[in-house]
Amino acid sequence: MSSLKAVSVAFDMVTPYGWGTGSCWNGLLSKTSAIRRIDRFSTSLMQTNNAATVPDLKPNRDESLVMQMLTPLLKKIAPEIPPDTFVILATTTGEIEFLQRSVINGEQEAIKSRPDHLLNKIMLLAGTCAGGMVVSAACVSSSAAISRAASMIRSKERDSILVVACDSVSEFVTAGFSSLMALDRHMAKPFDKNRCGLSLGEAAGLMLLMSEERAVREKRDILGEIAGWGLTNDANHITGPSKDGSGLSNAVLNAMKSAGISEKEIGCISTHGTGTPYNDSMEMKAIKNIFGKNPIPLYSVKGGTGHTMGAAGLLEIIIGFETLNKKIVPPTVNLRDTDREAEGWVFPESQFFDSPVTLSTNSGFGGVNSALVLKKSEKIL
Amino acid sequence: MIAVTGIGWLTSKEYGCLISKVNETHEGLGSLYSYFKHKSYFSSPVKNFGRFDAISKMTCFSTALALKDAGISYSSKHKQDIGIFGANKTGCLESNLNYFQDYIESGRILARGNLFIYTLPSIPLAEASIHFGLSGPLLHLLFNEKRIPSLLSFVGDSITGGETPSILAISAEETDAICFVLKQEDDISPGMNVGLQNVIAAAGETYTFDEMINAFKGIV
Repeated sequence: MSSLKAVSVAFDMVTPYGWGTGSCWNGLLSKTSAIRRIDRFSTSLMQTNNAATVPDLKPNRDESLVMQMLTPLLKKIAPEIPPDTFVILATTTGEIEFLQRSVINGEQEAIKSRPDHLLNKIMLLAGTCAGGMVVSAACVSSSAAISRAASMIRSKERDSILVVACDSVSEFVTAGFSSLMALDRHMAKPFDKNRCGLSLGEAAGLMLLMSEERAVREKRDILGEIAGWGLTNDANHITGPSKDGSGLSNAVLNAMKSAGISEKEIGCISTHGTGTPYNDSMEMKAIKNIFGKNPIPLYSVKGGTGHTMGAAGLLEIIIGFETLNKKIVPPTVNLRDTDREAEGWVFPESQFFDSPVTLSTNSGFGGVNSALVLKKSEKIL
Repeated sequence: MIAVTGIGWLTSKEYGCLISKVNETHEGLGSLYSYFKHKSYFSSPVKNFGRFDAISKMTCFSTALALKDAGISYSSKHKQDIGIFGANKTGCLESNLNYFQDYIESGRILARGNLFIYTLPSIPLAEASIHFGLSGPLLHLLFNEKRIPSLLSFVGDSITGGETPSILAISAEETDAICFVLKQEDDISPGMNVGLQNVIAAAGETYTFDEMINAFKGIV
């Protein structure tokens, strides 16, 4: 095993529950969903009127929805970010309003919707000068970005990396998911017998990662470790997951190998858990392939936060660190009647657990799968 | 050490395999799929090729050429632990415009799922991974400088870091595309290949696609 650890020294986020990690954590523990009626565009011809939107965001010409989320987060954290920090942005649609306006009003600003333009704005606000890149892998984007950052730190290529993730609920994506008939008319119900689709959500988050050596040298608080990662592809279907879950199983196996741990050390699992019949079933198969008949608690946040697309992975990693520090597995919001496949694994109530290791998984269109092993900071232990 | 064992490229008029020194003209991208099937660059029909967006088609053409150049046979049924990373100039901007224009022109009644799916820049890579049976990591990247050298360097580091033994690095636009097969040097069968650093250096000194191909011809 490499001795170079990638550790998180700062994180923050805004979710449909509000600003800060605490509001999301408390929202999940309250078992109430942040999925609400969409009021920023007409949904009369969409599959649903609902999505998990961030309170008080308003479409306006001067600032995109994602910049309304990112600007306060970046201004708050900027003093902590060293200028030599590399920036990785994860998003699926970024500032898509520019493209929407370009098509609807004929304004020549579609090019401003490109994520590399957003990356430049982020680097300016973060005060960094060491370059950056955009990572895109559908709904795995931000967990893939975190794994790339950890890999770059482990290989000594970089020792300070800021990962930023964001996506907003727009007419562009809501119409698209409606066309795929992928949305629950009311609210997503991950792992429920009656689940019938996902609910879209929006969020933005950031995480500053450093090598453990640099974090200690700079006397940073270490909030947790990205201990291992695995990325695979089903190579099977563009919008549907592999039915046997083998692609995700392989990602989990690769992540455990990368972390140098066995499945016995994992205390709980943050699943992708979108609430679509196929995804949740595939995930249960993938997890049972590895953990056998000995259930460990697993959960999905998406009944509460909605599916925050490119931001989902990072949001779930931050919540994963919270589970380790608080020793609580959050409830799976909107779970009423647990699917038989998930019985004994997923719960509508929070659970206590005591392990310094957790796993976070995501899957996305194109057949992409990601698994990350998260460890509690040894300093906290 | 990482080596490049295959390089496939194409433009609207020509295509080639750099290691095996193939360089041919063609009659246009519109008829290239039939021509590639006839020449056995595709070992089986590419499912749904007709509905692919332009970048997905270019990604599949360049991947077929690069795998042929590297001597790698494939089947969609027998998956191989090969990754596929891509980087291009504008991501999926054109596909985003096509999808949303179509939705607005329909009176905002119903978007078309077939167009929506290509609004993710990683989808062309996924289309290729399905046909060629590539089950390693899949990522689309946008770099804010030196796109192809940055992509090659990133892919090389990912292999060195133990991610997977081989990764394809692809840069596909609507009218030109190039695909590189990268492998660990101790994982290479005897045959032609070129060192990754030489390829990165050659790519870094060029400005146009044609200049880049000519620079690569000079080092293989």
